[in-house]
Amino acid sequence: MLGYLVRRLIQAIAVLAAMSLVVYVLLGLMPGDPVDLMASGDPKMTPADMQRLRALHGVDRPILERYASWATAALQGDLGWSRSFRRPVLEIMAPRLANTLLLMGSALAVALGIGLPLGIWAAARRGRLADQAINLACFAGAATPTFWLALLLMMVFAVHLGWLPAGSLPPDGAGPLEVLRHMALPVATLALVEAGIYARHMRAAMIDALAQDYVRTARAKGASELRILLVHALRNAALPVTTVAALGFGGLFSGALVTETMFAWPGMGKLIYDSILTSDFNMALVTLLFATLVTLLANLLADLGYAALDPRIALDGSDGRDG
Amino acid sequence: MSIARPALAAIAALGTSLALACLAAPWILTLAGIDPTETDLLNRLAGPSAAHPLGTDDLGRDLLARLLDGGRVSIVVGLTAAVIAATIGSVLGVVAGYFGGRFDAVLMRFTDGVIALPLLAVLIVLAAIDLGKLGIPEEIARSPEAGLARIVVITAAFGWTTVARLVRAATLSLKTRDFVRAAIALGASPWRVMLVHILPNALSPILVATALALGEVIKFESVLSFLGLGIQPPTPSWGNMLTNAQELIWTAPHLALWPGLLILATVASCNILADALADRLSPRGGARPSS
Amino acid sequence: MIETLAVRAFALAAGLLAAAPAAAKDELTIGFTQYPATLHPIIDSMAAKSYVLGMTRRPFTAYDKDWVLRCMLCVDLPTVENGLARPVDRPDGTKGVAITLAIHPGATWGDGVPVSTQDVAFTIEVGRDDKSGVAAQEFYKRVERVEIHDAKRFTLHMEKLTYQYNDFGDFQLLPAHLERPVFAAGAEGYKQRTLFDAEPTRAGLHFGPYRIEQVVAGSHLVLAPNPTWYGDKPHFRKITIRAIENTAALEANLLSGSIDYIAGELGLTLDQALAFEKRHGARFDIVYKPGLVYEHIDLNLDNPLLKDRRVRQALLMALDREALNRQLFEGKQPVAASFVNPLDRVAATDTPRYGFEPARAQALLDEAGFRPGPDGIRVNAAGQRLSLELGTTAGNRTRESVQQVLQNQWKRVGVEVRIKNDPARVFFGEITRKRAFPAMAMYAWISSPESGPRNQLHSKSIPTEANNFAGQNYPGFANAEIDGLIDRLEVELDFDRRKAIWTRVQAIYATELPVLPLYFRAESFIVPKWLAGIEPTGHLHYSSLRVEHWKPR
Repeated sequence: MLGYLVRRLIQAIAVLAAMSLVVYVLLGLMPGDPVDLMASGDPKMTPADMQRLRALHGVDRPILERYASWATAALQGDLGWSRSFRRPVLEIMAPRLANTLLLMGSALAVALGIGLPLGIWAAARRGRLADQAINLACFAGAATPTFWLALLLMMVFAVHLGWLPAGSLPPDGAGPLEVLRHMALPVATLALVEAGIYARHMRAAMIDALAQDYVRTARAKGASELRILLVHALRNAALPVTTVAALGFGGLFSGALVTETMFAWPGMGKLIYDSILTSDFNMALVTLLFATLVTLLANLLADLGYAALDPRIALDGSDGRDG
Repeated sequence: MSIARPALAAIAALGTSLALACLAAPWILTLAGIDPTETDLLNRLAGPSAAHPLGTDDLGRDLLARLLDGGRVSIVVGLTAAVIAATIGSVLGVVAGYFGGRFDAVLMRFTDGVIALPLLAVLIVLAAIDLGKLGIPEEIARSPEAGLARIVVITAAFGWTTVARLVRAATLSLKTRDFVRAAIALGASPWRVMLVHILPNALSPILVATALALGEVIKFESVLSFLGLGIQPPTPSWGNMLTNAQELIWTAPHLALWPGLLILATVASCNILADALADRLSPRGGARPSS
Repeated sequence: MIETLAVRAFALAAGLLAAAPAAAKDELTIGFTQYPATLHPIIDSMAAKSYVLGMTRRPFTAYDKDWVLRCMLCVDLPTVENGLARPVDRPDGTKGVAITLAIHPGATWGDGVPVSTQDVAFTIEVGRDDKSGVAAQEFYKRVERVEIHDAKRFTLHMEKLTYQYNDFGDFQLLPAHLERPVFAAGAEGYKQRTLFDAEPTRAGLHFGPYRIEQVVAGSHLVLAPNPTWYGDKPHFRKITIRAIENTAALEANLLSGSIDYIAGELGLTLDQALAFEKRHGARFDIVYKPGLVYEHIDLNLDNPLLKDRRVRQALLMALDREALNRQLFEGKQPVAASFVNPLDRVAATDTPRYGFEPARAQALLDEAGFRPGPDGIRVNAAGQRLSLELGTTAGNRTRESVQQVLQNQWKRVGVEVRIKNDPARVFFGEITRKRAFPAMAMYAWISSPESGPRNQLHSKSIPTEANNFAGQNYPGFANAEIDGLIDRLEVELDFDRRKAIWTRVQAIYATELPVLPLYFRAESFIVPKWLAGIEPTGHLHYSSLRVEHWKPR
C-alpha cells in the first residue's frame, strides 16, 4: 500500500512537470500577446510603447528560456506574480479557490444526493412510469445548455418571483442565510445538469448488478427487495459511479466557467479562462497545475475506492489476486 | 423490452425521423426553393406564417429551414464525435485495465493530463493553424466538410477520457471474475479476452456515457463556433443557433426553444437506443431481473 | 408534530427566499461587463479601470459630453490666445511649446495632503521611466522639463507643438507622498509594489468625489464619498460597481433589482437595449449615444481583385447600409462616410457619400471587367472569380449578423463572399496585425475627438516584417498626398486651416476607399427613471467623470 502511494506520488510529480512545460509552450504558441490586446483598446499606444512593454513583461524572450526561469523560481517556492493583477499568484488565487470550493462542492453534493437515489429508484422500477420520468428528466439535463438553464432560473426566481438574488457574491459580513440565498441559483444550475449524469450511470450500473447471479441467489434465499437493492446490488454497481464521481471531484477546482460567468461568481473557472486569454502565464500555469493536481488526486482516490469496493481488484492494477 | 415504454419509444421514433429529415435537409430545401442563409431585414423575428411555418430569426431567415439544415451539422458531428471518442476511450481503458502495471500507469496519467489540459488554449492555438499551410489544398481546407471534420477531430480528441476511466474500472473488476480467468487459463489470447469477454460486459457504462456525451458534443460545437473553429456563418447548427439566441432570450425565446427541444429529442432518442442496445448486446442484459 | 415541522420548514424557506429590501435612494449599484484587473491610473489601459477612476480622481483636462475640451483638475485651460501656452522655437528649428497649468487650489488627496506640483514632478518621472510599465508613454517623453513655480503652479516644456497641445486627458497624477518611496525602491518592481494594487483602499491614493472603500476581486468595488473632495458634493453615500460579464445576466440583475443602472460604456449590446426598451421603457430611460467607435471593413489592397478602385467603390455601393442601420439598429448607429464621426467638429459635410446603388455597382463591376459567370458570380477575362474572404472576430454576435447581411447583399451583385472568422486573440494578434487577411477584415477602432489618422493611414504605418509589424495601416494604403496632409495636420494650430486639411483627408479617404466605412457604434445607457444627471459622452472620457452630479430625480 505504502509502496503504491509512493509510486503514485512520483507519477504525479512527473505529470505535473510535463504539464507545466506543455501548458507554458501552449500559451507561448497562442498568437498575439498581452501587449497587442492592450494596444487594441488604447489608441494612444505607439509601436515604440509596444516594443518597450514586450521587453518589460518579458514576452519578447524565447518561450523555453522563460519557462526555465519560471521553473527555477517555482522550485524554490516562488510561484511568481500575475501579470494582469500585478499581485502574487497565490494571493489572487486563494479567494477564487474558496469561492469555487463553496459553489462546486455544494453542487457536487446536491447532484450526488439527488442523482444516485434517483438512479437506484429508476433501476428498481425499470420500465415503469417512475423510471421513464426520471430518464426523461436526465435527458433534459444532458441536453440543456448551462447558460440557458442559468438564465431560466434567473428569470423565474430572481426576476419574476423576486425570491432569490441573481447570483453574485454576497456582500461582506452576510449571514449564512444570505450566503445560501446567493448560492442557491448557481448551485441549482450546476446540480440539475450533473444529477442527470449520475442518475443515468447509477441506473445502468444497478441494472447490470441486478442481473448478476449472486442477486438471484440472494433473491432465491428470500432476501427482501430493499436488501437486495441496497446491499447486494449497490456494492457491485458502485464501480462506474465511483469513476464518474471522481471525475466530478477532479473538476471541482477547475471551476465551472459558464456558471461562474453567468452568476458573476469569481471562481477558478473564470480565473483560468481570463488568465489564458490575457496570456497571464504565471497565473494560468499555477491555476492549471493546481487543477491537474486535484485531477490526479481524485483519480488516485477512485483507484483506492475500487480496491475497497471490490477486494479482488489489486491496487497496482497488475494481475488480480484471489479475493 | 420496448413494449413497456411507449412514451420513450415514441420519442425514439420521433428522434429517428427528425434525424432523417435533417440529413435530407439539403435536398428538401432545394426542392422547396428555400435558402436557409437568405436574409430579409424587413422580416425580422416574424411570427409563424404560411411562408415561414416557424417564423423567422433575427436576420429574417426561415427558422424551420435553419433548424433542418442545422440539424444535419449537429447530428453528424454529435454522433461521429461521440462514437469515435467512445472507441478511443474503450480501447485505451481496456488495455490499461487489462495489462495493468507500468502500462496502466502511463496511459492513465496521460488521461489525467488530457483531462486537465487547458482546452481553451489548445483551441486558440488550433484556430491560428492554417490548414492551407499544412499541405492541404486550399479548396478542401476551406470547404464546409473540412470544417465539420475539424470539429469531429477536436471533440473526439478531448472527449474520450470519461469512457477510458469507466472501461478501465470495469476491466479491473471483470478480469478478476471466474469466467475471464477461465478463458485466460484455457489459453485465450489477451486480445481475444478483452474483445470477447471483457468489453461486452463493460458495454452498459460505455453506452450510457456515449449517449450522454452526444448532448455535450452538440453543445460543445457551439463553443467551437464561438471561437471561429466551428461552423462558420452563415451555415447554421443547433449549437450556434442556441448560442446566438442568448442575447435575444427575453424577446425571442422561441429562437432558443426550438433548437433546445430538438437537441433534447436527439439526446433522448439516442439514450433510449443505447439502453435498448445494452439490453440486447450485454451478455446478461436480456434477462429481466424482476417482473 | 408533522404540522409544526412543516410550518417551521416553511418559515425557514420564506426567510431564505425573502427578497432583499429595496435599495434606499442614497445608494447606487452600477452594473457593467468588465472587472478592472488593476487600479493604477497610468499603468495598463482598461475601460473598466478608467470608468472607476473617473469617480475617484480627475485628469487635468477632459472632453465633455459635447466633445469640448475643458479643465477638470486645472484652473484655466491653457491656449495660445490666453498666453498660458507659449510656442517656442527650438534650436533645431522645430517648434516646441511651454504650457503653464495651475492645479485646483482645493484639490487634496483623501488623506488630507494637498495635491501639489510635487505630484506633477513625480508622475512625470514615473511616466518617463522605461521600466515603470506605463502604457502610452508618448506624452511623458515629450516633456522636456518641468518648471515648478509654487505648490500649485507649474510649466511643462514640451518638445513638440501639435494642435492637441492642451489635451491633458491622460495626465493622471500619482500621490508622491505615498508612491515615491515605493518607486524609489526600484522602478523595475514598481508596477508590482504600487499601493494602487497592494492597498487599493488607502485614502491618500485618490482625490475625486469618491474613494475606494472595498475591493472584492473579480466581483465588485464599493465607493464612499471622499471628504476632501473640492467640487460639488456628491449625492450618493455609497456606490457599488458590480462586474457581470454576461449581458443577458446583467439584464436579469437589473430587472431583479440587484443593480440599479447599467453603464453604457461597458453595457448591453444595442439590440439588447432596443429590445429592453420595448418591454421596460416605462421603468427605465434608455439613452443611446453614438460614439467614436468606428465599425468598418479594411480591404487588403495587395489583393489583385481589390487593386481596382472601381471594384472597391462597387463593393460599397452594393451595400444598403441605411437599411442595415434602420432595421437592425433602429437608426441609432449612424452610417459612416469616413472614419471621422459626424459629431466631431472636424467632420466634413461634402465628403463623397455612397448610397445603396446596386445598378451602379453592377455597372462599375462590368466596367472593371467582371461579368456574371454561370453560377451568377462574376468572373473576369483572366478567369479570376470575384470571390473574397471576409473575416471578423468570432463570437461577436452583432458583427456576425451584419456580416451575413452584407454577404447576402454582395451576392445579389455577383460578388461571392466567404466568411472566415477567428477568435479576437487570433484576429487582432495575427490576422490584422500581420495583414494576413486575404481580402476583407471587419472590426472597429476607438478614438478620441479630432484624433489624427497617422497610425491608420500614413504609409509609414503599414505593418511589415521589416518594421516589426508596427502601425495599423492594415489595408496597406500608400498615398503621398495623405502622408503630406497628415504631417501638416499635426502641427497646424489654426482651426480653420486645419479643418481644410481634415476635409481633404476625408475626401481622399472616401474616394480611394482603402476601407469600407460601415457605421459608428452607439452605446446604450439603461437608466432607472428615478436617476438623473447621467450624461453619456460617446468617447473615452467616460460619464463617470461627472458622478457628483448624479442624484435621484
